Amino acid sequence: MRRRRQHVAGLAALALAGCAGNGEGLDAGGRPVGEGGADGPLVATFESIQAHVFTPLCTGCHAGATAPQGLRLDATSSYDLLVGIASNEAPGVQRVQPGDPDRSYLVQKLQGSAAVGARMPLGGPYLDQATIDVIRQWITDGAARTASAGSVATQSFALAQASPANGDTLPTAPRQLLVSFTRDLDTTRLDASSVHLAQVVEPDASTTRPLGVSMHAVVANPRALVVTPRSALAPGRYVLQIDAHALADLDGRPLGVNAGAGTPSGVRIVFDVEGAQ
Amino acid sequence: MKIGGRSCCWVLLLWALAGAQHASAEPYLAVQQGYKCGQCHVNPTGGGLRNDFGAVFTQNVLPAHAFPGDAPAWTGKLGDVVRLGGDLRETWTRIDVPDQDTQDGWDLQELRVYGALEPIRDRLYLVVDEALAPGNAQTREAYARYADPARGWYAKAGRFYVPFGWRLEDDGAFVRAVSGINMTAPDDGVELGLELSSWSLQLALTNGAANAGTGSGSQVVAQSVWTQTRGRLGLSAAYTDAEAGARSMAALFGGLRTGPVAWLGEVDYIRDEGFPEGTRTLTTALAEMDWAWRKGHNLKLTAEYFDPDHDVDEDQKTRWSAVYEYTPMPFVQLRAGFRRHDGIPQNDFDNRDVAFFEVHGFF
Repeated sequence: MRRRRQHVAGLAALALAGCAGNGEGLDAGGRPVGEGGADGPLVATFESIQAHVFTPLCTGCHAGATAPQGLRLDATSSYDLLVGIASNEAPGVQRVQPGDPDRSYLVQKLQGSAAVGARMPLGGPYLDQATIDVIRQWITDGAARTASAGSVATQSFALAQASPANGDTLPTAPRQLLVSFTRDLDTTRLDASSVHLAQVVEPDASTTRPLGVSMHAVVANPRALVVTPRSALAPGRYVLQIDAHALADLDGRPLGVNAGAGTPSGVRIVFDVEGAQ
Repeated sequence: MKIGGRSCCWVLLLWALAGAQHASAEPYLAVQQGYKCGQCHVNPTGGGLRNDFGAVFTQNVLPAHAFPGDAPAWTGKLGDVVRLGGDLRETWTRIDVPDQDTQDGWDLQELRVYGALEPIRDRLYLVVDEALAPGNAQTREAYARYADPARGWYAKAGRFYVPFGWRLEDDGAFVRAVSGINMTAPDDGVELGLELSSWSLQLALTNGAANAGTGSGSQVVAQSVWTQTRGRLGLSAAYTDAEAGARSMAALFGGLRTGPVAWLGEVDYIRDEGFPEGTRTLTTALAEMDWAWRKGHNLKLTAEYFDPDHDVDEDQKTRWSAVYEYTPMPFVQLRAGFRRHDGIPQNDFDNRDVAFFEVHGFF
C-alpha cells in the first residue's frame, strides 16, 4: 500500500510538471512582438530568416555559451558566427559562403547532405524545400546582414511591411492601410480585384463581409501600396488579403515567389479596431 | 569462449548482488539497481563502452530471454588489453507539425563503435568513441584516463563528455538540449574525479562548446553525486566563458527506486549573457518514471518543462513522452514511443507530435 501511494504521488508529480505558455503578446519565436521581427512572410533577407527560422526553430539548442559547435543562432550572434566562418565539423567549408549556397555548410546541414553528423534540425521535423530555398536565395544574393540595393535585385517579391501589421490592435479606425513590398510594383496590373478587405463577422470567425476599397501606388515609393476603405471601419476584426497572383513586380514575378523556386503565397493581415473613426 | 558452470555462477552472483528481478537500460537502470554509472561503463561518469560487468549484465539480466548457457558469451574483451563495443540505432519516425505535411521515414540515427586499450590493468585506459554514421566518421570521445583504484581518484585528458546532470540517451530532452551538455557535444580538456563508496566527485576544465574551433574561452564544470541503494542525489555546476557571452548553469538531479519503478528528476537553472537586453535566465526540468514490470520490458513516461526566458511571460514549452522498451534477447532492443510537444500557438514547430519505432543493436 505504501509503495502504491509512492507511485501515485510520483505520477501526480509528472502530471504537474507544468503547462505551455499561451503565447500572448509574443511572436513565433517566443519573443515579445516587435522585438524579433517575425511579422510578415519569410523572405530572403537575414532578418526574416532569423525571425522565421533561426530564432523559433534553432535556438532551443543553438544558444548560449554551450551552443553545439559553438554556433549561437540567437539574433545577436548568428550572423557573425555564420557568414564567412569555417564550419567546425568540416573546416574546409564555410557555414555560409556568400554567393554559393551549395558550398555553404548551413545549407548542407539543412538538406541532409553534409559530410559530417546528422541533418538539422536534429531529430526533425526538417525544413521544407521552400524554406530552404529562401535561405539559399539569401546566400545567392550575397548573404547580406541587411537588405541592400545590390541584394534586392534578386531577392524575393514579398511583403516587407504593413501598417497596421498582422496582429495589431488599433485604438481608432485607420483612414488608410499601407502595404510595402520588397520590390517595385508593376502598377499596370493593379485593379479592383488585387486587394480584398473584409470584416470578420462574429461569432463565426470564418465568415467575413467584404468591404469596398480603393487603392493607389505611392509615387515616391514604387514598392508601396495605399489601400483606402470606402467607408469608415467600425470596431471589429478585419482581414486584408492580397492573393499571390494579384500583384507582380517589374520582372513579372507574382507575389510570394522567390527568385529561385517556391510556392506562391499571398499576404494576409488580420487586425482589430477598438474604437470608431 | 563458452559459459561454463563457473561463469553461470558468476552471472548469478552478479544478479544476486544487483538485488533485482527486473532490469532495464541506461541511467534509470543505475537507479533501479543502486549502481554508480561506472558499474557498467568504462567511463566512471557513464555512457559509451561497457565494462565486463556491463557486458554480462546486458546479456543475462537485461533481456527477456538470455542465450542458452552453452552459447558463446561476449565480454567486450579481445585479449587482456583491447575492449570493443558499439551501438546502432535505426529509427522510423513520423512527425506531425500543425499545418505542415507529415514527415516520416527510416533513418540510421547512429552507428557508433567504441574501443579501449588497457595497457595497465585497472589503471591506464585509452578510450575512443567514434560515430561512423550518419555522415562521415566523427570522433566523439578520445581520451586517456589514469586511475588509482586504491584511493579512488582518476585523471582524464582528451575529448570527452562533460559530467553535468543525468547522462540521458535522449539528447532531445530539454535538460540535455538546452544545457548543451549531451552525447552530441563532447568537449576537449581535462577531468579529475574521485570515486568513493557513496560519493562521486568530478571537476572538468574544458574549452566549452561555444569556443570550439576559432573561439577562445574556457569552461569549468563541477559535479557531486551521492549514491545509495534506494536512490541518489546530484548537484552540478558549470561556468562557460565565451566571447559572445558567458553562461552559468546549475543542475539538481536525483533518482529514487520504489519497487520495480525508478524515478528520475532534474532541474537546470541557466543564466546567459550576450543578449541586447542583457541576461536571460532559463529553466528546464525533467521528471521520468521507468516501470520495469517484467524482465526485458520497461515503460518510460517523462514530463519536461522549459522556460526560455524568465522575463518573458507565457513562452514556456512542455514535452511529454511515453516510450516502451523491449529487450527480447541480448544485443537487441526494440523501442516504440510517442512524444507530444506543447508550446506557444504561434510556433507550429513547438506543437509537434512525434511517433517513433527504433531497432537498437548493441554489444
